[in-house]
Amino acid sequence: MEFTLLGATAIALTSVYCMSWLEEHRGETASHSKKLRGLILPATLVGLVAGRLAAMISNGVNPLTNPQEIIILRAGVVAGPATIAALTWIAWAGRSELQTLTDRLAPAALAGLAGWHGACVVRDTCLGTSSDLPWALAQHGSSITRHPVDLYASLAYLVIAVALIMLKPFPPSFAAGAGLVGATGVRLLTEPIRASLDSGPTHWYLAGLLGGVALTGWAVSRSRKATPD
Amino acid sequence: MQRAIRLAASLTIATAACSAPSIDTAVPELPLTSPEAITELLARSVQPVVINVWASWCIPCRAEAPLLNKAVSQFGEIVHFIGINVRDNQSSAQEFIEELLAETNIDHFFDRYGAVPLALGGSPGIPLTFFYRPGGSLIKLHFGVLDERTLALQIDELLARS
Repeated sequence: MEFTLLGATAIALTSVYCMSWLEEHRGETASHSKKLRGLILPATLVGLVAGRLAAMISNGVNPLTNPQEIIILRAGVVAGPATIAALTWIAWAGRSELQTLTDRLAPAALAGLAGWHGACVVRDTCLGTSSDLPWALAQHGSSITRHPVDLYASLAYLVIAVALIMLKPFPPSFAAGAGLVGATGVRLLTEPIRASLDSGPTHWYLAGLLGGVALTGWAVSRSRKATPD
Repeated sequence: MQRAIRLAASLTIATAACSAPSIDTAVPELPLTSPEAITELLARSVQPVVINVWASWCIPCRAEAPLLNKAVSQFGEIVHFIGINVRDNQSSAQEFIEELLAETNIDHFFDRYGAVPLALGGSPGIPLTFFYRPGGSLIKLHFGVLDERTLALQIDELLARS
């Protein structure tokens, strides 16, 4: 793994733990927060292995005949399978109180995304398409100013994460749905100003956004039914 | 006599079994290059140049190949892509190109001792990617594996500054 990637991962994980700690101090039961913190590290490892296996297969490397290559993370980790595997792990390991845990996970996961995108500062990957806005930044030695797109994303994730904690209480599953809307919506909105060789996995973001909207709507309608006028 | 024949036959079979497999590849041998040749090529370039330093034994280089293919298919008309194979052997390099980079128009060169990247200001570690303006002025040297964002951003920067 590149050291800058390692640094970004450390910043993301630290952000997750900090947000979980903040949740606990905003009145969450300590047992839930402790359980969540216990799930995060194994889920990260499961995600990394799944993402690495997917990268090996897509590059034509057989993981059974080349198992030693699994640990060479710098050779590529595919984010989609990694995310799905990590979330599946959390769902399985926390299945006895899944709804509560996913609601607690949402702000922490968004903080992790904020940390990951904010770590563009150490990775030197903050910039997107060119822009003349006053806050646009230029690469070292260049006069072409660009959108600091990863800083936009980091800030947006942080605002949503803090809002989910400060504006509580919500109906069950609302925070999880809103978190999914935030996570995918920010990526969908920033995709047009990212430097990219193609349009990016926008269909995944759109699917996530729709799923999040559906979950949030379901949570609200269920809570209204549970408390009739 | 019979014993000698048997011994000779055994040795022949053993030698054949131990020898390298024959290479049946459509990729021609990579031309040898040197720091001077690449510097001259850069100085005479009228297009922006992207130089990727790779080797067949470099596992991260394998991960970069699909990205390079994508970039060449999009920008190959306006950007000159060069691959420098270092500290490798011809047959492994040819197999690597045939497997991962055959579909794209990258000019590959062979640099047995890895002198070119060092002379251009790089490090012994690979992969490395250099981005040059026409005429050969370096605008970015990327150490390590490229990701799509970095490659797209640097090509955009290269085109804007050329």
